[in-house]
Amino acid sequence: MHIAVCVKQVPDTTEVKINPETGTLIRTGVPSIINPYDHFALQTAIELKRIHGCRVTVISMGPPQAKSVVQMGLALGADDGVLLSDMAFAGSDTWATSYALARAVKKLGKADIVLAGMQAIDGDTAQTGPGVAQQLGIPQVTFCEKIDIDGKKIIARKLIDGGYEVVEVKAPVLFTMIMPKDYVPRYPSFLETHASLKKPYYVWSASDIGAEAQYLGLKGSPTQVARIYPPPQRGKALMTNGSAQEAVEKILDIMRKEHFIAE
Amino acid sequence: MPSMDPISRNLMLDSLKAYAKKHITNDFIREKDQANEFPAEILKDMYDHSIMGVHLLMIPEEYGGVAGGTYDIYRICEVLAHIDLGIATSVFATFLGTDPLNVGGTLDQKKKWLERIAKENLMVAYAATEADAGSDLLNLRTRAEHVLKNGQLTGYRLTGNKQWISNGGVADLYTVLAMAPGGPCWFLVEKDMEGFSPNKHEDKHGIRLSNTAGLSLDNVYVPKENLIGEAEGQGLLQAQAVFGYTRLMVAAFGLGAGWEAVEQAIRYSQQRIQAGSPLCDKQGYTHKLIVPHAVRLEASRAYIEEIACRLDGGEHGLQTEGAIAKYSASEYGNRAAEDAIQAFGGYGYTHDFPVEKIKRDVKITCIYEGTSEVLEMTIYRGRWQEHLKTRGRYYADIADEMDALHAKNPDVGAQAAGLALRALAAVLEECRLAKLTRHQTVTFKLGRLISMAELAYVFARSAAKEKYSESVRFDSQAWQAMARVYAREAALLIASEGLAMVLGCVDSAGNLSAAVNMDAVQAAQKGMTADMDLVAVKLKQTFKAR
Amino acid sequence: MINVSPKCIGCNKCVPVCPFAAIQLIDKKAVINEACTLCGACVQICPVSAIEITREEASARDLSGYKGVWVFVELMESPDDAKRPRIKPVTFELLSVGRRLADELGEELSAVLLTDKNYGFEKELGAYGADKMYLAENPELYEYNTDIFATAIIALVNKHKPAAMLYGATIMGRDLAPRVASCLYTGLTADCTALAIKDGLLLQSRPAFGGNIMADILSPNSRPQMATVRPNVMKLAEPIYGKVAMTVREDIKIDKNLRRVKVLERHLTRDKGGVKIEDAKIIVSGGRGMKTKEKFKVLEELSRLLGGVVGASRAAVDLGLKDKSHQVGQSGATVSPKLYLSFGISGAVQHIVGMKSSDVIVAVNKDPNAPIFGVAKYGVVGDAHEIAPKLIEALKKK
Repeated sequence: MHIAVCVKQVPDTTEVKINPETGTLIRTGVPSIINPYDHFALQTAIELKRIHGCRVTVISMGPPQAKSVVQMGLALGADDGVLLSDMAFAGSDTWATSYALARAVKKLGKADIVLAGMQAIDGDTAQTGPGVAQQLGIPQVTFCEKIDIDGKKIIARKLIDGGYEVVEVKAPVLFTMIMPKDYVPRYPSFLETHASLKKPYYVWSASDIGAEAQYLGLKGSPTQVARIYPPPQRGKALMTNGSAQEAVEKILDIMRKEHFIAE
Repeated sequence: MPSMDPISRNLMLDSLKAYAKKHITNDFIREKDQANEFPAEILKDMYDHSIMGVHLLMIPEEYGGVAGGTYDIYRICEVLAHIDLGIATSVFATFLGTDPLNVGGTLDQKKKWLERIAKENLMVAYAATEADAGSDLLNLRTRAEHVLKNGQLTGYRLTGNKQWISNGGVADLYTVLAMAPGGPCWFLVEKDMEGFSPNKHEDKHGIRLSNTAGLSLDNVYVPKENLIGEAEGQGLLQAQAVFGYTRLMVAAFGLGAGWEAVEQAIRYSQQRIQAGSPLCDKQGYTHKLIVPHAVRLEASRAYIEEIACRLDGGEHGLQTEGAIAKYSASEYGNRAAEDAIQAFGGYGYTHDFPVEKIKRDVKITCIYEGTSEVLEMTIYRGRWQEHLKTRGRYYADIADEMDALHAKNPDVGAQAAGLALRALAAVLEECRLAKLTRHQTVTFKLGRLISMAELAYVFARSAAKEKYSESVRFDSQAWQAMARVYAREAALLIASEGLAMVLGCVDSAGNLSAAVNMDAVQAAQKGMTADMDLVAVKLKQTFKAR
Repeated sequence: MINVSPKCIGCNKCVPVCPFAAIQLIDKKAVINEACTLCGACVQICPVSAIEITREEASARDLSGYKGVWVFVELMESPDDAKRPRIKPVTFELLSVGRRLADELGEELSAVLLTDKNYGFEKELGAYGADKMYLAENPELYEYNTDIFATAIIALVNKHKPAAMLYGATIMGRDLAPRVASCLYTGLTADCTALAIKDGLLLQSRPAFGGNIMADILSPNSRPQMATVRPNVMKLAEPIYGKVAMTVREDIKIDKNLRRVKVLERHLTRDKGGVKIEDAKIIVSGGRGMKTKEKFKVLEELSRLLGGVVGASRAAVDLGLKDKSHQVGQSGATVSPKLYLSFGISGAVQHIVGMKSSDVIVAVNKDPNAPIFGVAKYGVVGDAHEIAPKLIEALKKK
């Protein structure tokens, strides 16, 4: 089996700060990381490779420095890596991104399983995975936490509203992964990182994947960002300062006044 | 070895940080620090090539390593120091212990031992120091006697005692400096060789997570293949050949530990409210306890990076530069940690907050790999020669370069750096004319002034670059302001202290007071407070309270 | 395309603003490199309007004839009647906001119901504002299946051409909507926190970058303009009982072979006892300031005393203080309890978007400048570790 894993490089949103004076993002010193959900998708693929001997290809789309997440995939055990990098991709929304990723998966030949994180932490849209599946014309199973291959069938455990399902599907298929509770992200050893430099790595442009310019970038994106602005601050709270005991009295007062506890 | 590509390097750094975040928590460190305990399981992972494999940085690819360059090692050392300087020291000891092999080993020796270190995850110790031989290795007392069989040399018998050896009680392999009949040389001693035993783990002021122990060698038989380089008398040369970059590693320790303390203080200062506003908004606090240290540490960073790149570019030695880097970063790191305790007030004085531990830890960087005083002398010696050789042009030329830079970019403190360099040149020249270097205190102080001038020079140049290196966490506005602050400080200190130092030794200082150009130095202070205000704001933005 | 005109004065304002480090100042001019994603942050900050993003016009699609606002009706199993499902509350929230949008456009609001059986939901849907109920009844619609539901929706959209369509950002909605949007080549905006009409277009506001910043999104050149909205985000309108949605029956043919994903087992965990955090009336929540798992337990006791549910910020969950299922915020649950009592939560936007519609927010935090006080009704400056135990004591005395 051939597994293609889609990964994204994202700013570590827990480190992103807002400049209170200008209301803009402060980017300096914010590290770029692999999207945590994609990290789990990658580990799932490597685990399937370990058990079933699959071939694993890592794909990412982004600026040249996004090579980092592809190389990390190679270091963790993927066989080859592709970075879609081209100014033509800049400004792509989830639709245009899905289009480009789907073209890249097609170019790889027959991928039996496509894996991706359920969403990226910088956008939280959860749209790219289903978009890729739709463009490839293959079924999707979203919000999965476990995947097993059983002969020709693939069994997945996925979240649904209020619980979970175990589903069965045949390849080719796309899965998006959540992070299970007991998941421990693995990072490559120094040796694995060093060795990954020798693995096949390709940078593909829009024309390499046969993508039509009209479907890429801003031009190909149905959504447009009209405005970016700092989140609105609401009115100031009624504040209490003082000792812990005074604070407790105040909270009890509030709760009485708002009828959460009896007078 | 040249450094690796930035992506590989940063993946390795990320792996290290992720490991530390999970396994080396503050509580864990505090517990081990109080128990004075070596975290064996952590170091085992650090050296396990399937988990981390930090030691592979020092090992060439052909022997199973990842072949790190100086820049890589500097980056790793800084990150390690942010985590814990004791753990960092343990890793560093293996780097250091591997050095004599890398520098002086024969091909066969490298193949055998470097491969073993890589594959068997060996922890190494570097055993040079003795009770009477610290920075002065010539006083070496450990002896290596010839062992002959049928008149042929088969090996050596080592006898003596080593002191304060990092990893001393826990290493698998030791590179031991001993005096052979043909002079000092390095021997590879394995932990289970007969007659070899480590002593008890020291109870130290800081870096308590690193194992430090004495070693006793009682007639230990070492086969002649274990003599590094297989020729006697090369030991000191082999040791000195790497001072340039071993000292750079300790410089990175001072930088990392110092920054960790400053970062903690910056984050704290945003939460602690005094008289209605957070400490971070009070100039009296930030401009004394925070900003100067951030500035000096960043000046050290610029210098360390410059030297790392030169070493990676193939330059050798750079002993004076290594000394300047280590001297500056360790002294600045130490002072930064000291003031970080102050910045935390009473909290800083308790074990509940990590700054007091950092302060205890970072002090070692002013001591090991050459004390600050030995380095002041080394720095003075190296540059005094240059001053004499160039007939005083050495710093005047660099000052000209700064003036040219100032004409192109007036925002990087090049003018003040130029003033600092010219004042230094004048002081050096006055010392020559009045033969003042007969006073040891003058030579040591010159070492200090030289370091400041060179840092100001390198910082101005680095801040003028279009793109900063990956380790700079500030934008150009902030970094240039820092370069200006440092250059002003350097100019003022060199001019005033240089003049005072000369006046302290002689009746009249000739026209030195005109030559240091105090009027211009003082005029160059214009804008200092505004720049420090700016730096304080940038620090607050970069290291937000958690 | 992004261009920097000669108007650039090299003021450096745009460089730190760029979220992608794509701008450098070279020779006192902003130069934009390949890392640019055309997000437009620099355009807004530039004081001299020197940066311009130009968009080539997409091949004009015929957008005339797209009218009305649609809401996808999501069903759930009813706990008291296994045979008759219930409409999920989020559907009513969507109808409430959809009504406002439709009125502004002067168009109709319709609910779209895919089901194996007609249960007569037209009254409930009508009460919350739906003018019409498009009812597709087919035995193959007995349970949610991505391919089958997407195909049905696409068929209905192509037939009736709505201008906008809203889905709940539930797991089902987040599975279905992107599949539909991809196929229709139309814009979809996830997890909107506000919806409005601007110049006849659907203006969709949502947080980005982990909630650190807000973005307004438009989809001007495609229809329908689609959005998902998370449960508990939109205020429920007062139902007008007696108003009935007009049923429009749709005959949809569904090929059995479309069912490529087969459900082997389904486990619903919601009836295991305990109130789900989304439905809680009182939430006692803790953040990074709670420091350790042990100390966090105090909040569990407090919450028990108040008859509430424990919540946690993302930071607290990341630190392992509390399980992910308790997480409130952009990447966790969105809640709107009567009382939200927070301890040691500074109030990153990521958290605030998930709890701001609570009726009464009481926040305890050491830092008087913590952003949580910007949304709280009552703020208490103090140490959670001192206050929480004392509060428990006081409540126990009662």
